[in-house]
Amino acid sequence: MGMSDGEGTDPLSLAEIEALGQAEGRQGGLLGFGHPTFLTTKVDFVVNWARRNSLWPMPFGTACCAIEMMASAASNFDLARFGMERMSFSPRQADVLICAGRVPYKLAPVLRRIWDQMMQPKWCISMGACASSGGVFDTYSMVQGIDTIVPVDVYVPGCPPRPEGLIYGLMMIQEKIRHESLTEHYSLRAENPSLVGRPRAGDEEVEALAGPFGNSTQQDQLSSAAQTTRPERSEDLLP
Amino acid sequence: MAGENGSAFDAVEQGPEASGRNTETPHGGVGNPAEHPSVTALQGRFDSAVLRHEVQAGDQHVVFLDPGSNRAVLAWLRDDPEQRYDLLVDVTAVDYGGGRPLQIVYQLWSVPHKRALRIKCELPLDGLSIESVVQLWNAANWLEREVYDLFGVEFRDHPDLRRILMPQNYAEGHPLRKDFPLRGRFSRAEQTRRALSQDYHDDYTPEELEVGGAPGLAPPELPISTDEVGTRLD
Repeated sequence: MGMSDGEGTDPLSLAEIEALGQAEGRQGGLLGFGHPTFLTTKVDFVVNWARRNSLWPMPFGTACCAIEMMASAASNFDLARFGMERMSFSPRQADVLICAGRVPYKLAPVLRRIWDQMMQPKWCISMGACASSGGVFDTYSMVQGIDTIVPVDVYVPGCPPRPEGLIYGLMMIQEKIRHESLTEHYSLRAENPSLVGRPRAGDEEVEALAGPFGNSTQQDQLSSAAQTTRPERSEDLLP
Repeated sequence: MAGENGSAFDAVEQGPEASGRNTETPHGGVGNPAEHPSVTALQGRFDSAVLRHEVQAGDQHVVFLDPGSNRAVLAWLRDDPEQRYDLLVDVTAVDYGGGRPLQIVYQLWSVPHKRALRIKCELPLDGLSIESVVQLWNAANWLEREVYDLFGVEFRDHPDLRRILMPQNYAEGHPLRKDFPLRGRFSRAEQTRRALSQDYHDDYTPEELEVGGAPGLAPPELPISTDEVGTRLD
C-alpha cells in the first residue's frame, strides 16, 4: 500500500513504515516504528532511577513542621511531581521517614519502632530545628536531636522550614540515591537485629550532641543565667 | 534587676510574687467580696475552713480554704441548691518557689447560676497531700493525676493515682516544681536510654490495647443501635 510503483529498492521512509505497521495492527516501540525496541544500561542506574522517583514518605508530624509538610504535599507545591506520590501512613510501605517536629522522650520508642518497621532501602529526613537538635526545647522532656534515636540522612533547617526547603531535602535524598550502588547494598543497608529498639548513638555521642551546655546533671536555674540588666535604649521608649 | 541590697539572682531564687492581690475594679461593686453570693455563703457556713478571700483580675473571686476540709466544702458547693457548682473546669497547682506553700487550684463553674468561683488550698512543701475530689467530679481524675505527675501532690482516695504525662518509668521527680532543674536530673545519655526502655504495657491495660485492633474487639457499649438514632431524630 505504501510502496511506490516501480522504483523497487528504495528504502521506505519512517512514515511509510508506520503506516504499514498500523495497517497490520502492530504497535511501535518506545521510540516509534523503525527504531530498536530495547536499550542497554546499568542495573544500578535503572534501580536507582526507579527508587528515587517513587519515594513514598512516612510522615511523622508532631508539631508545626507538619503543617509545612502538609503544604508541601498540597497542590501549590505538589510533592507528587517528584515521585512522593502518596504519604504512606504504614511504615512497611514507606521509603523515607520525615520526622517533622519535636520529639519528646515519651515518643522516642515510637519513632524508633516505626523506623525499625520500615523496610530497606529506607532513608530519613529530620525536618526543622526541633527534630534536628531539640531547638529551643532544651528541657527535661525533649529528645535533643532524633539522630540519637535513628540515623538521619538529611537535616532540613528552619523553624519551620518552608515547603521548598523540605522539597530540596527530598531532592538531596534523590541525589544520594543516584550515587548508591547495588554492590554496596549490604554494607549500606544491612541491619543488625540486636540493634532493634536501641538508640543509634552511643552515650558519649549523645552527650556531645546534647551540648553546648554539657552535662545536664550540673544544671540548675542559675548556672547558665547571665547578668540580665535591661539595656538602656532610650530610642525604644515611647514618648 | 539588681537592687541596692541584693543580686539579680535573688528574684530567680524567690520566684515571682504570688498572683493573689486585691485589685481595684473600674466598675464598682464587682470587686467587693460581699458581691459574690457564694463567698458570703461560704464565710457564713464554713467560718473556720475559709482562711481568706481575694478578688483577682477584676472579678475573679478566690477563696482560700483549709486543705483539711476541701472535700466537705467542695461537696457542699456542688450540691447546695443555691450554689450548684456542677462543672469542675480545672484542677491545677502553682509553685511560686522560694519555699512558699504550693497552691492547689480548683476552678468551678455553676451552669444553673452562671457563676464562677476559684478555690485554692495551700499545702506546705513537706506535706503535699490532700483529699481527692474524684468522687465529686469525675473530671478530676485525670486532672489530679496530672498535678500528681508534675508537682508530686498525693491525692488521698484517688482511684488511679499514677503518672499521666511523663513516662511511667520516669524517675527524676516532678518536673514543674520550682526546685526541678530545667534539663532534668539525669544525663542526656541516661534519659535516652531510659526513654527507649519504656514498655507500653505500663501505660495501657490489655483492654485499652485491644480497642482499635480487630473490629470485633471494641467494647459492646460503643455501637449505637439504629433504634436509638431514630428516637433522637424525633
